[in-house]
Amino acid sequence: MAETASETFTLVITGAPYSSQAPQTALGFAQAAVTAGHRIDRVFLYGDGVHLASALSAPPSDETNWSEEWSRFLSEHSVPGVACIASALRRGLVNETEQKRYELPAANLRTPFEIAGLGEWVEGRIKSTRTLYFHAGD
Amino acid sequence: MSTLIMIDQAPYGAWTGREALDMAFSLAAFDQPASLFFTGAGVNWLRQNQEAGGIGQKSVEKNLSAAPIFGIEAILADRAACETYGLDENSLIEGVTLVDADAALLNDYDHTAFAG
Repeated sequence: MAETASETFTLVITGAPYSSQAPQTALGFAQAAVTAGHRIDRVFLYGDGVHLASALSAPPSDETNWSEEWSRFLSEHSVPGVACIASALRRGLVNETEQKRYELPAANLRTPFEIAGLGEWVEGRIKSTRTLYFHAGD
Repeated sequence: MSTLIMIDQAPYGAWTGREALDMAFSLAAFDQPASLFFTGAGVNWLRQNQEAGGIGQKSVEKNLSAAPIFGIEAILADRAACETYGLDENSLIEGVTLVDADAALLNDYDHTAFAG
């Protein structure tokens, strides 16, 4: 089999964990891509996808914690995980900076996720050789 | 790298349409060519005189009328979907181009994207 050229990916996740399959499909893809020698440039959470960045999700112990799994993947492979700020603020996902700015009672963004604007998505599309979308499919 | 942002859901029932619009505006803000394409129930975004106040939402007409100002290249609507929903040039907002949703349309763009 001929060796395929190395790709770089921006992954966009718009489906929330526990209401859609999008986060785990994206993680399966990301792991397979890295194993095959490709690179994930960044993961961008948009719309309901920002729920994946919650530090407070606590599924039953016999179920996979997809936020935790994704965090581990991002840390292990030094991949930036960015939640869209407009999507995140609307849905109650904030880091300490936004907590202070909006005088909210808590911050709940899971490490190593960051909060930034849609410009991160635009830049990812330009830099990566491919951009893939993982939607809820409803 | 030109992008066609697709909206295929009616306004107000879901948030994905607004988020698709933000994606298009964001591309335009970074000088990336972007157009909007409304298809299926999404063509209802383009209906004149929407009154969303009754359900506690803002009309999406204002967002759409700002599209050319923000640098969106075209607002396209699926001709067949408009017929299905009884929309014609008299009931559509200004600045909409009716097109056939076929391979030739998609060939004009490097990328297509949905918000969800």
